[in-house]
Amino acid sequence: MNPPSPLQDDPMILFNNINKWYGDYQALTDVCAEVKKGEVVVVCGPSGSGKSTLIRTVNRLEEIKSGQLLFDGHDIHAPMSSVALNRLRSRIGFVFQSFNLFPHLSVMDNIMLSPMRVLGVKKAQAREKAGQLLERVGLSGKAGAFPAQLSGGQQQRVAIARALAMEPPAMLFDEPTSALDPEMVGEVLSVMRGLASDGMTMMCVTHEMNFAREVADRVWFMDAGRILEKAEPETFFRHPQHPRAQRFLSDLRAH
Amino acid sequence: MFSIFEILRDNWLLLLVGQYPNGPLGGIVATLILSVLGIVLAFPLSVLLALARLSPWKLLRVPATVLVYIVRGVPLLMVILWVYFLVPILIGRDVSGFTTMLCTLVIYEGAYLSEVVRAGIQSLPKGQSEAARALGHSHLGTMFYVILPQALYNMLPSMLSQFISTIKETTLGYVINVQELTFAANQINNQLLTKPFQVFFILAMTYYVVCFSLTRLALWLERRIALKRLGTAVRQDPGASDLPPAVATHP
Repeated sequence: MNPPSPLQDDPMILFNNINKWYGDYQALTDVCAEVKKGEVVVVCGPSGSGKSTLIRTVNRLEEIKSGQLLFDGHDIHAPMSSVALNRLRSRIGFVFQSFNLFPHLSVMDNIMLSPMRVLGVKKAQAREKAGQLLERVGLSGKAGAFPAQLSGGQQQRVAIARALAMEPPAMLFDEPTSALDPEMVGEVLSVMRGLASDGMTMMCVTHEMNFAREVADRVWFMDAGRILEKAEPETFFRHPQHPRAQRFLSDLRAH
Repeated sequence: MFSIFEILRDNWLLLLVGQYPNGPLGGIVATLILSVLGIVLAFPLSVLLALARLSPWKLLRVPATVLVYIVRGVPLLMVILWVYFLVPILIGRDVSGFTTMLCTLVIYEGAYLSEVVRAGIQSLPKGQSEAARALGHSHLGTMFYVILPQALYNMLPSMLSQFISTIKETTLGYVINVQELTFAANQINNQLLTKPFQVFFILAMTYYVVCFSLTRLALWLERRIALKRLGTAVRQDPGASDLPPAVATHP
C-alpha cells in the first residue's frame, strides 16, 4: 500500500458520481466533488440533506450503491479484504458528533489504544505522542481522567486528539459541535482552527457558519442528497447562486 | 425447634464437606466447587458463543445459534440424564457424577450466559464500535479492546445472578448421586427418618445464606468498579463511598 507520489494538486478526497440508497430512499445522488490536499471544506445544508451520510462514506461507515471514492489515491469502496479496509480507515481521522470516547479507558489510554493496537507503536512512544496531542488540544492536566469526568467540549477535544494520534493525512468532522452546550462550542472550534492553520486537510460537516466563513477554503451546500453549490465562503455567504441556498441562508439569518 | 440446632450440631461436618476425608468430598464445599468451576469454565465458552452468534461469518453463527436454542429448549435435568447415560457409552468408560455434572453445567450455563453476553454487547451504543472501526481496529480488535470490557462490566450483576442460579442448579446433581449439599442433607434425613421438615429447612436456609451473601457481594463489586470509573472526582470526597451506587448515572 504505497501511496502515490503526492502532487499538491492531487485531490485528497475525490467523490466521483456517488449514489447511495437507504431502501427506496436515495440519500446521495450523483455526488461529484473533491477536497484538495491542505484544503478545508465545510459541508452545510438543512438536516436530512445527506451531509453526514456523505462524510461517513469516506471511511466506509456507510456503503455506496455506485460511484468511486478515492482517498489519497485509494479506492475506498473497491472490493477489498477487511484487513486492507482497516488499514485505510486507520489513515482517515474521523470525529463524531457524539464524541464516542471509550468510557472504560482514561483519556491517555483512549489516545494510546489505537496507535499501539492498530499501528503497533511502542507504549513509551505512544505515551509521549499522546502527551503532545493533549497539550495541543489544551488538556495536558486531564491525562488520567475518565471521559465521564470531562465536559462535552473537553471530550470532543480528546476525541480530536485520539484521531490525530493516528497521524492521518486528513481529518473528517461530522457535526463536531452539534452535541455541545453553546459555551463549549468555541473551545472545540479553536482547536479545529489551529489544525486548519497547520495545513491539515479537513472536511467538516457543521452548522457553525462563522467557522465556515473564517476557516473554510470552500463551502459545499447540500440539499436532498445533492451538492447544489460549491463556492468560496465569501461568495457563498454574500451571493449564493442556488435558490435553495439563498433560502437556507436567509432562514439562518432570520434568527 | 431445638431439634434444628441438634441436627446442626451432630451433622455440621457432613453438611460442610460430606464424608471427606473418609469418602468423597461433599456437602456445601462440593456444591461451591462445582458452581465455581462450572461458571468459571462456562464464562469463556459463553463469550466465544456470543462472539460466534454476532459473527459476520455464517459458519460460526449458525452452529452457535443452534446450540443455544437447543439448550434453552431442554430442561437441565434432561441434559444431565443424557450426558450421564450417553457419555460413558460414547467414550467406553465410566465418568464420575461430579465430572458429568460439571460438563453439563458448563454447556448449560455457557449457553445461557452467552445470551447475557450478547445482550450486553448489543446494548452498547453503536458509536462505540463505529469509533473503533473508524480508528482502524478489526472486528475482533473492536470486540476485545472496546466492546467486551464495557459489556462485561455492564453484565456483572447478570453474571452473578447466573452464578447464583448455577448454585441452585447443582442440586439436580442429586439425581446422579453427585455428593453435594442436597445429597448430604438427604443422607441426614435418611438417618433421622422423623425430622424431614427440620432437615430440609436447614438445607433451604443454607442455600439462602450462600446466595444472599453473593447478591450482596455483587452489589459491592458493582459499586467498587463504578467508583473506580469515576476516579478522582470521588476520591476528593471521602464521604462519597457511602452513597448509593453510582452505577445508574454511568453508561
